[in-house]
Amino acid sequence: MTEKSLYERIGGEAAVDAAVDAFYRRVLADDRIAHHFEDVDMDVQREKQKAFLTFAFGGPSRYTGRDLRAAHARFSLSDGDFDAVMQNLSLTLESLGVPASLIGEVAGIALSVKTDVLNR
Amino acid sequence: MLIHFEGQAIEIAPGETVLQGIERHGGQLPAVCRRGVCRACLVKARRGAVPAAAQKGLKEAIRRQGLFMACQCQPSEELELERCGSAAAFDSCVERVERLSERVLRVDLSAPDGFQHEAGQFIQLERPGDGVSRAYSIASLPGGALELHVALLPGGSMSQWLVGAEGQPVRLRGSFGECHYLAGEPERPLCLAGTGTGLAPLLGVLRAALAAGHRAPIRLYHGSVQTSGLYLWAELTALARRASNLRVVGSVLEAPASEGDGSGAIRVESLDAAIARDGAPHPEERVFLCGQADLVRALQKKFYLSGVPLERIHADAFVAPGAPR
Repeated sequence: MTEKSLYERIGGEAAVDAAVDAFYRRVLADDRIAHHFEDVDMDVQREKQKAFLTFAFGGPSRYTGRDLRAAHARFSLSDGDFDAVMQNLSLTLESLGVPASLIGEVAGIALSVKTDVLNR
Repeated sequence: MLIHFEGQAIEIAPGETVLQGIERHGGQLPAVCRRGVCRACLVKARRGAVPAAAQKGLKEAIRRQGLFMACQCQPSEELELERCGSAAAFDSCVERVERLSERVLRVDLSAPDGFQHEAGQFIQLERPGDGVSRAYSIASLPGGALELHVALLPGGSMSQWLVGAEGQPVRLRGSFGECHYLAGEPERPLCLAGTGTGLAPLLGVLRAALAAGHRAPIRLYHGSVQTSGLYLWAELTALARRASNLRVVGSVLEAPASEGDGSGAIRVESLDAAIARDGAPHPEERVFLCGQADLVRALQKKFYLSGVPLERIHADAFVAPGAPR
Protein backbone atom coordinates (compact mmCIF):
# COMPACT_ATOMS: atom_id res chain seq x y z
CA MET A 1 0.00 0.00 0.00
CA THR A 2 1.36 3.33 -0.99
CA GLU A 3 0.49 6.20 1.25
CA LYS A 4 -1.66 8.92 -0.24
CA SER A 5 0.14 12.14 -1.06
CA LEU A 6 -0.64 15.37 0.75
CA TYR A 7 -2.27 16.67 -2.43
CA GLU A 8 -4.65 13.70 -2.52
CA ARG A 9 -5.42 13.88 1.18
CA ILE A 10 -6.21 17.59 1.08
CA GLY A 11 -8.56 17.15 -1.86
CA GLY A 12 -6.49 17.89 -4.96
CA GLU A 13 -7.55 20.39 -7.57
CA ALA A 14 -10.98 20.83 -6.00
CA ALA A 15 -9.30 21.97 -2.79
CA VAL A 16 -7.21 24.48 -4.71
CA ASP A 17 -10.33 25.81 -6.42
CA ALA A 18 -12.12 26.05 -3.10
CA ALA A 19 -9.25 27.87 -1.42
CA VAL A 20 -8.00 30.26 -4.07
CA ASP A 21 -10.61 33.01 -3.77
CA ALA A 22 -10.77 32.81 0.02
CA PHE A 23 -6.98 33.07 0.14
CA TYR A 24 -6.61 35.84 -2.43
CA ARG A 25 -9.38 37.89 -0.78
CA ARG A 26 -7.65 37.56 2.60
CA VAL A 27 -4.37 38.70 1.12
CA LEU A 28 -5.97 41.69 -0.64
CA ALA A 29 -7.76 42.71 2.52
CA ASP A 30 -4.63 42.46 4.67
CA ASP A 31 -3.26 45.99 5.08
CA ARG A 32 0.17 44.65 6.00
CA ILE A 33 0.76 43.26 2.51
CA ALA A 34 -2.03 44.53 0.24
CA HIS A 35 0.24 47.23 -1.19
CA HIS A 36 2.35 44.57 -2.87
CA PHE A 37 -0.70 43.60 -4.92
CA GLU A 38 -1.71 46.99 -6.24
CA ASP A 39 -1.43 47.71 -9.96
CA VAL A 40 -1.42 44.03 -10.87
CA ASP A 41 -3.78 42.33 -13.26
CA MET A 42 -6.10 40.58 -10.84
CA ASP A 43 -6.99 37.79 -13.26
CA VAL A 44 -3.33 36.94 -13.76
CA GLN A 45 -2.63 37.28 -10.04
CA ARG A 46 -5.43 34.90 -9.19
CA GLU A 47 -3.87 32.29 -11.48
CA LYS A 48 -0.55 32.81 -9.70
CA GLN A 49 -2.29 32.26 -6.37
CA LYS A 50 -3.67 29.01 -7.76
CA ALA A 51 -0.23 27.91 -8.86
CA PHE A 52 1.13 28.76 -5.43
CA LEU A 53 -1.60 26.82 -3.62
CA THR A 54 -1.11 23.82 -5.91
CA PHE A 55 2.57 23.90 -5.01
CA ALA A 56 1.95 24.36 -1.27
CA PHE A 57 -0.56 21.49 -1.31
CA GLY A 58 2.16 19.24 -2.70
CA GLY A 59 0.44 19.08 -6.07
CA PRO A 60 1.70 18.72 -9.62
CA SER A 61 3.45 22.06 -9.84
CA ARG A 62 6.47 22.92 -11.85
CA TYR A 63 7.50 25.73 -9.56
CA THR A 64 11.23 25.77 -8.94
CA GLY A 65 13.18 27.75 -6.41
CA ARG A 66 14.79 29.69 -9.23
CA ASP A 67 11.40 30.70 -10.69
CA LEU A 68 10.27 31.95 -7.30
CA ARG A 69 13.49 33.83 -6.78
CA ALA A 70 13.23 35.54 -10.17
CA ALA A 71 9.53 36.31 -9.76
CA HIS A 72 9.96 38.00 -6.38
CA ALA A 73 13.31 39.71 -6.95
CA ARG A 74 11.84 43.11 -7.81
CA PHE A 75 9.83 43.32 -4.60
CA SER A 76 11.85 43.86 -1.49
CA LEU A 77 9.95 41.56 0.79
CA SER A 78 10.49 41.20 4.52
CA ASP A 79 10.11 38.38 7.01
CA GLY A 80 6.94 40.16 8.11
CA ASP A 81 5.51 40.01 4.58
CA PHE A 82 6.23 36.31 4.32
CA ASP A 83 4.76 35.61 7.75
CA ALA A 84 1.61 37.54 6.86
CA VAL A 85 1.08 35.40 3.76
CA MET A 86 1.69 32.25 5.81
CA GLN A 87 -0.85 33.41 8.35
CA ASN A 88 -3.44 34.13 5.67
CA LEU A 89 -2.81 30.71 4.21
CA SER A 90 -3.36 28.98 7.57
CA LEU A 91 -6.48 31.01 8.33
CA THR A 92 -7.89 30.23 4.88
CA LEU A 93 -7.40 26.50 5.35
CA GLU A 94 -8.78 26.63 8.89
CA SER A 95 -11.91 28.38 7.64
CA LEU A 96 -12.36 25.60 5.10
CA GLY A 97 -12.13 22.97 7.82
CA VAL A 98 -8.76 21.51 6.82
CA PRO A 99 -7.32 19.51 9.76
CA ALA A 100 -4.44 21.12 11.64
CA SER A 101 -2.03 18.31 10.77
CA LEU A 102 -2.52 18.92 7.05
CA ILE A 103 -2.19 22.68 7.51
CA GLY A 104 1.12 21.97 9.19
CA GLU A 105 2.32 19.99 6.18
CA VAL A 106 1.24 22.76 3.79
CA ALA A 107 3.05 25.34 5.93
CA GLY A 108 6.15 23.18 5.81
CA ILE A 109 6.18 23.17 2.01
CA ALA A 110 5.58 26.92 1.84
CA LEU A 111 8.36 27.55 4.37
CA SER A 112 10.77 25.53 2.25
CA VAL A 113 10.86 28.29 -0.36
CA LYS A 114 11.14 31.22 2.05
CA THR A 115 14.76 31.97 1.21
CA ASP A 116 13.94 32.00 -2.51
CA VAL A 117 10.94 34.30 -2.10
CA LEU A 118 12.90 36.68 0.12
CA ASN A 119 15.96 36.45 -2.11
CA ARG A 120 18.39 35.39 0.54
CA MET B 1 -2.47 16.74 -35.83
CA LEU B 2 -2.32 19.56 -38.33
CA ILE B 3 -2.58 23.24 -37.49
CA HIS B 4 -2.50 26.27 -39.77
CA PHE B 5 -0.79 29.40 -38.52
CA GLU B 6 0.35 32.46 -40.44
CA GLY B 7 0.60 30.68 -43.78
CA GLN B 8 2.27 27.54 -42.46
CA ALA B 9 0.80 24.07 -42.10
CA ILE B 10 2.39 22.58 -38.99
CA GLU B 11 2.13 18.97 -37.88
CA ILE B 12 1.90 18.84 -34.09
CA ALA B 13 3.56 15.66 -32.84
CA PRO B 14 1.90 13.54 -30.14
CA GLY B 15 2.67 15.03 -26.75
CA GLU B 16 3.71 18.31 -28.34
CA THR B 17 1.89 21.59 -27.70
CA VAL B 18 0.79 24.15 -30.26
CA LEU B 19 3.39 26.51 -28.82
CA GLN B 20 6.20 23.98 -29.25
CA GLY B 21 5.08 23.16 -32.78
CA ILE B 22 4.99 26.79 -33.83
CA GLU B 23 8.42 27.41 -32.31
CA ARG B 24 9.85 24.29 -33.97
CA HIS B 25 8.85 25.83 -37.29
CA GLY B 26 10.60 29.08 -36.51
CA GLY B 27 7.50 30.96 -35.38
CA GLN B 28 7.35 33.04 -32.24
CA LEU B 29 4.68 33.70 -29.67
CA PRO B 30 5.16 35.93 -26.62
CA ALA B 31 5.32 32.96 -24.25
CA VAL B 32 6.57 33.63 -20.74
CA CYS B 33 5.65 30.96 -18.21
CA ARG B 34 4.81 28.06 -20.58
CA ARG B 35 2.61 26.51 -17.92
CA GLY B 36 -0.77 28.09 -18.34
CA VAL B 37 -0.38 30.92 -15.88
CA CYS B 38 0.76 34.07 -17.66
CA ARG B 39 -1.61 33.95 -20.65
CA ALA B 40 1.00 35.61 -22.82
CA CYS B 41 0.76 32.92 -25.51
CA LEU B 42 -2.98 33.24 -26.14
CA VAL B 43 -3.92 32.52 -29.74
CA LYS B 44 -7.27 32.35 -31.45
CA ALA B 45 -8.81 29.32 -33.12
CA ARG B 46 -10.64 30.58 -36.20
CA ARG B 47 -11.66 27.04 -37.07
CA GLY B 48 -11.64 23.86 -35.01
CA ALA B 49 -12.30 23.15 -31.34
CA VAL B 50 -9.49 23.14 -28.80
CA PRO B 51 -9.30 20.75 -25.83
CA ALA B 52 -10.77 22.08 -22.59
CA ALA B 53 -7.36 22.05 -20.92
CA ALA B 54 -6.16 24.77 -23.29
CA GLN B 55 -8.87 27.15 -22.05
CA LYS B 56 -8.86 26.14 -18.41
CA GLY B 57 -9.26 29.11 -16.12
CA LEU B 58 -9.96 31.58 -18.94
CA LYS B 59 -13.00 33.77 -18.60
CA GLU B 60 -16.07 32.68 -20.47
CA ALA B 61 -16.03 35.79 -22.65
CA ILE B 62 -12.47 34.95 -23.71
CA ARG B 63 -13.25 31.29 -24.31
CA ARG B 64 -16.22 32.16 -26.48
CA GLN B 65 -13.92 34.16 -28.75
CA GLY B 66 -11.91 30.99 -29.38
CA LEU B 67 -8.85 32.21 -27.51
CA PHE B 68 -6.73 29.58 -25.81
CA MET B 69 -3.28 29.05 -24.31
CA ALA B 70 -0.90 27.70 -26.96
CA CYS B 71 1.35 26.24 -24.24
CA GLN B 72 -1.50 24.12 -22.88
CA CYS B 73 -2.93 22.89 -26.17
CA GLN B 74 -2.34 19.41 -27.52
CA PRO B 75 -4.83 19.57 -30.38
CA SER B 76 -7.26 16.74 -31.03
CA GLU B 77 -8.52 18.10 -34.32
CA GLU B 78 -7.25 20.25 -37.15
CA LEU B 79 -7.07 23.91 -36.16
CA GLU B 80 -6.79 27.16 -38.03
CA LEU B 81 -5.12 29.71 -35.79
CA GLU B 82 -4.61 33.42 -35.71
CA ARG B 83 -2.27 35.47 -33.57
CA CYS B 84 -4.11 37.18 -30.73
CA GLY B 85 -4.45 40.89 -31.33
CA SER B 86 -3.40 40.56 -34.95
CA ALA B 87 -6.93 41.03 -36.17
CA ALA B 88 -7.07 42.13 -39.76
CA ALA B 89 -6.85 45.80 -40.73
CA PHE B 90 -9.89 47.38 -42.40
CA ASP B 91 -10.33 50.54 -44.41
CA SER B 92 -12.96 52.81 -42.98
CA CYS B 93 -13.97 56.44 -43.10
CA VAL B 94 -15.08 59.07 -40.60
CA GLU B 95 -18.76 59.49 -41.46
CA ARG B 96 -19.76 62.01 -38.85
CA VAL B 97 -18.30 63.98 -35.96
CA GLU B 98 -20.48 65.44 -33.26
CA ARG B 99 -19.48 67.25 -30.09
CA LEU B 100 -21.30 65.67 -27.15
CA SER B 101 -19.75 67.98 -24.59
CA GLU B 102 -16.85 70.36 -24.17
CA ARG B 103 -14.54 67.36 -23.70
CA VAL B 104 -16.13 64.53 -25.67
CA LEU B 105 -16.64 63.88 -29.38
CA ARG B 106 -18.89 61.30 -30.87
CA VAL B 107 -17.20 59.89 -33.96
CA ASP B 108 -19.07 57.56 -36.30
CA LEU B 109 -16.97 55.37 -38.58
CA SER B 110 -18.31 53.48 -41.56
CA ALA B 111 -18.47 49.75 -40.76
CA PRO B 112 -16.11 48.00 -43.17
CA ASP B 113 -17.23 44.88 -45.06
CA GLY B 114 -16.31 41.78 -43.10
CA PHE B 115 -15.66 43.68 -39.88
CA GLN B 116 -17.21 42.00 -36.86
CA HIS B 117 -17.66 43.33 -33.36
CA GLU B 118 -19.79 43.14 -30.28
CA ALA B 119 -20.89 46.40 -28.72
CA GLY B 120 -18.44 47.34 -25.96
CA GLN B 121 -15.36 45.83 -27.60
CA PHE B 122 -12.63 48.17 -28.76
CA ILE B 123 -10.75 48.88 -31.96
CA GLN B 124 -7.37 50.31 -32.71
CA LEU B 125 -7.99 53.36 -34.89
CA GLU B 126 -5.13 54.37 -37.17
CA ARG B 127 -4.71 57.71 -38.89
CA PRO B 128 -3.50 57.42 -42.47
CA GLY B 129 -0.19 58.97 -43.33
CA ASP B 130 1.69 58.87 -40.05
CA GLY B 131 0.17 55.70 -38.55
CA VAL B 132 -0.68 57.31 -35.20
CA SER B 133 -3.13 54.93 -33.55
CA ARG B 134 -5.36 54.89 -30.48
CA ALA B 135 -7.78 52.44 -28.91
CA TYR B 136 -11.48 53.36 -28.78
CA SER B 137 -14.48 51.38 -27.58
CA ILE B 138 -17.52 50.83 -29.77
CA ALA B 139 -20.79 52.01 -28.21
CA SER B 140 -23.01 50.88 -31.06
CA LEU B 141 -24.58 47.54 -31.90
CA PRO B 142 -23.44 45.66 -35.01
CA GLY B 143 -25.24 46.58 -38.18
CA GLY B 144 -24.60 50.29 -38.52
CA ALA B 145 -21.85 52.86 -38.21
CA LEU B 146 -19.30 52.31 -35.44
CA GLU B 147 -20.00 54.87 -32.71
CA LEU B 148 -16.94 55.96 -30.74
CA HIS B 149 -16.72 58.43 -27.86
CA VAL B 150 -13.46 60.32 -28.02
CA ALA B 151 -12.10 62.24 -25.05
CA LEU B 152 -10.66 65.52 -26.30
CA LEU B 153 -7.26 65.82 -24.72
CA PRO B 154 -5.27 69.07 -24.78
CA GLY B 155 -2.65 68.53 -27.45
CA GLY B 156 -4.09 65.07 -28.12
CA SER B 157 -2.63 63.97 -31.42
CA MET B 158 -5.56 61.82 -32.49
CA SER B 159 -8.44 63.45 -30.65
CA GLN B 160 -7.70 66.98 -31.91
CA TRP B 161 -7.30 65.68 -35.45
CA LEU B 162 -10.67 63.90 -35.25
CA VAL B 163 -12.45 67.21 -34.56
CA GLY B 164 -12.15 68.10 -38.24
CA ALA B 165 -11.82 64.66 -39.73
CA GLU B 166 -15.31 64.22 -41.17
CA GLY B 167 -14.97 62.49 -44.52
CA GLN B 168 -11.38 61.40 -43.90
CA PRO B 169 -10.25 57.83 -44.55
CA VAL B 170 -8.93 55.87 -41.57
CA ARG B 171 -7.81 52.32 -40.87
CA LEU B 172 -8.95 50.19 -37.99
CA ARG B 173 -7.98 46.90 -36.42
CA GLY B 174 -10.16 44.80 -34.22
CA SER B 175 -12.29 44.08 -32.60
CA PHE B 176 -10.65 43.37 -29.27
CA GLY B 177 -11.55 42.79 -25.66
CA GLU B 178 -14.02 40.96 -23.49
CA CYS B 179 -16.12 43.94 -22.49
CA HIS B 180 -19.39 42.93 -24.13
CA TYR B 181 -22.78 41.57 -23.21
CA LEU B 182 -23.01 37.81 -22.77
CA ALA B 183 -26.14 36.36 -24.30
CA GLY B 184 -27.93 33.51 -22.61
CA GLU B 185 -28.24 34.81 -19.06
CA PRO B 186 -31.19 37.22 -19.12
CA GLU B 187 -31.89 36.67 -15.41
CA ARG B 188 -28.45 37.77 -14.21
CA PRO B 189 -28.32 41.29 -12.69
CA LEU B 190 -25.84 43.64 -14.35
CA CYS B 191 -23.82 46.45 -12.84
CA LEU B 192 -22.16 48.87 -15.28
CA ALA B 193 -19.89 51.56 -13.87
CA GLY B 194 -17.44 53.91 -15.47
CA THR B 195 -15.98 57.36 -15.73
CA GLY B 196 -15.67 59.72 -18.68
CA THR B 197 -15.66 58.01 -22.05
CA GLY B 198 -15.69 54.70 -20.17
CA LEU B 199 -19.38 55.20 -20.83
CA ALA B 200 -18.88 54.12 -24.47
CA PRO B 201 -18.29 50.41 -23.78
CA LEU B 202 -20.88 50.46 -20.99
CA LEU B 203 -23.44 51.92 -23.37
CA GLY B 204 -22.51 49.17 -25.83
CA VAL B 205 -23.14 46.50 -23.21
CA LEU B 206 -26.37 48.22 -22.17
CA ARG B 207 -27.70 48.49 -25.72
CA ALA B 208 -26.91 44.83 -26.36
CA ALA B 209 -28.60 43.82 -23.10
CA LEU B 210 -31.75 45.82 -23.88
CA ALA B 211 -31.82 44.53 -27.46
CA ALA B 212 -31.57 40.97 -26.13
CA GLY B 213 -34.50 41.53 -23.80
CA HIS B 214 -32.45 41.26 -20.61
CA ARG B 215 -34.91 40.73 -17.77
CA ALA B 216 -32.88 41.14 -14.57
CA PRO B 217 -32.13 44.56 -13.05
CA ILE B 218 -29.41 46.64 -14.72
CA ARG B 219 -27.76 49.49 -12.84
CA LEU B 220 -25.52 51.93 -14.63
CA TYR B 221 -23.26 54.47 -12.93
CA HIS B 222 -21.56 57.25 -14.87
CA GLY B 223 -18.99 59.31 -13.03
CA SER B 224 -17.34 62.61 -13.88
CA VAL B 225 -15.87 65.64 -12.22
CA GLN B 226 -18.77 67.90 -13.16
CA THR B 227 -22.29 67.39 -14.48
CA SER B 228 -21.14 68.66 -17.88
CA GLY B 229 -19.01 65.50 -18.06
CA LEU B 230 -22.11 63.31 -17.92
CA TYR B 231 -22.25 63.79 -21.65
CA LEU B 232 -25.12 61.44 -22.49
CA TRP B 233 -27.20 61.93 -19.37
CA ALA B 234 -30.36 62.82 -21.27
CA GLU B 235 -30.08 59.71 -23.44
CA LEU B 236 -29.41 57.49 -20.42
CA THR B 237 -32.39 58.79 -18.48
CA ALA B 238 -34.57 58.37 -21.58
CA LEU B 239 -33.46 54.74 -21.82
CA ALA B 240 -34.25 54.26 -18.13
CA ARG B 241 -37.75 55.64 -18.62
CA ARG B 242 -38.40 53.08 -21.34
CA ALA B 243 -36.78 50.07 -19.64
CA SER B 244 -38.30 49.40 -16.24
CA ASN B 245 -35.37 47.17 -15.21
CA LEU B 246 -32.77 49.91 -15.86
CA ARG B 247 -31.63 52.42 -13.26
CA VAL B 248 -29.05 55.08 -14.07
CA VAL B 249 -27.03 57.00 -11.50
CA GLY B 250 -24.75 59.94 -12.18
CA SER B 251 -21.89 60.70 -9.85
CA VAL B 252 -20.09 64.04 -9.87
CA LEU B 253 -17.48 65.44 -7.57
CA GLU B 254 -18.06 69.15 -8.01
CA ALA B 255 -21.63 70.21 -8.57
CA PRO B 256 -24.74 70.79 -6.52
CA ALA B 257 -27.02 67.81 -7.01
CA SER B 258 -29.82 70.18 -7.87
CA GLU B 259 -28.02 70.93 -11.09
CA GLY B 260 -29.07 67.51 -12.33
CA ASP B 261 -32.29 66.80 -14.11
CA GLY B 262 -34.38 66.96 -10.98
CA SER B 263 -34.75 63.19 -10.77
CA GLY B 264 -32.23 63.05 -7.95
CA ALA B 265 -30.30 60.44 -9.85
CA ILE B 266 -27.19 62.63 -10.04
CA ARG B 267 -25.30 62.40 -6.79
CA VAL B 268 -22.45 64.56 -5.57
CA GLU B 269 -20.12 61.85 -4.39
CA SER B 270 -17.39 59.71 -5.84
CA LEU B 271 -18.34 56.85 -8.11
CA ASP B 272 -17.30 54.20 -5.58
CA ALA B 273 -19.27 55.97 -2.84
CA ALA B 274 -22.31 56.13 -5.12
CA ILE B 275 -22.07 52.40 -5.76
CA ALA B 276 -21.44 51.60 -2.10
CA ARG B 277 -24.52 53.61 -1.10
CA ASP B 278 -26.66 51.10 -2.99
CA GLY B 279 -25.44 48.30 -0.76
CA ALA B 280 -23.48 45.13 -1.31
CA PRO B 281 -23.39 43.77 -4.85
CA HIS B 282 -25.83 41.04 -5.73
CA PRO B 283 -23.85 37.79 -5.42
CA GLU B 284 -24.95 36.72 -8.92
CA GLU B 285 -24.25 40.07 -10.55
CA ARG B 286 -22.09 40.51 -13.66
CA VAL B 287 -20.00 43.66 -13.44
CA PHE B 288 -18.49 45.88 -16.15
CA LEU B 289 -16.01 48.58 -15.11
CA CYS B 290 -14.56 51.02 -17.63
CA GLY B 291 -12.62 54.24 -17.61
CA GLN B 292 -9.97 55.82 -15.44
CA ALA B 293 -7.47 53.08 -14.63
CA ASP B 294 -6.92 53.59 -10.89
CA LEU B 295 -10.62 53.78 -10.21
CA VAL B 296 -11.37 50.73 -12.34
CA ARG B 297 -8.75 48.69 -10.46
CA ALA B 298 -10.00 49.91 -7.09
CA LEU B 299 -13.59 49.02 -7.98
CA GLN B 300 -12.55 45.64 -9.32
CA LYS B 301 -10.92 44.90 -5.99
CA LYS B 302 -13.98 46.06 -4.05
CA PHE B 303 -16.38 43.93 -6.06
CA TYR B 304 -14.09 40.93 -5.74
CA LEU B 305 -13.68 41.37 -1.99
CA SER B 306 -17.43 41.63 -1.60
CA GLY B 307 -17.86 38.22 -3.17
CA VAL B 308 -18.20 38.63 -6.94
CA PRO B 309 -15.86 36.16 -8.70
CA LEU B 310 -13.26 37.70 -11.04
CA GLU B 311 -14.76 35.63 -13.84
CA ARG B 312 -17.77 37.94 -13.69
CA ILE B 313 -15.91 41.26 -13.36
CA HIS B 314 -14.94 42.77 -16.70
CA ALA B 315 -12.48 45.57 -16.11
CA ASP B 316 -11.49 47.83 -19.00
CA ALA B 317 -8.93 50.27 -17.59
CA PHE B 318 -8.24 53.17 -19.96
CA VAL B 319 -4.60 54.10 -19.96
CA ALA B 320 -2.93 57.18 -21.35
CA PRO B 321 -1.77 57.06 -24.98
CA GLY B 322 1.66 55.55 -25.27
CA ALA B 323 1.29 53.29 -22.28
CA PRO B 324 0.51 49.63 -22.95
CA ARG B 325 -3.20 49.08 -22.89
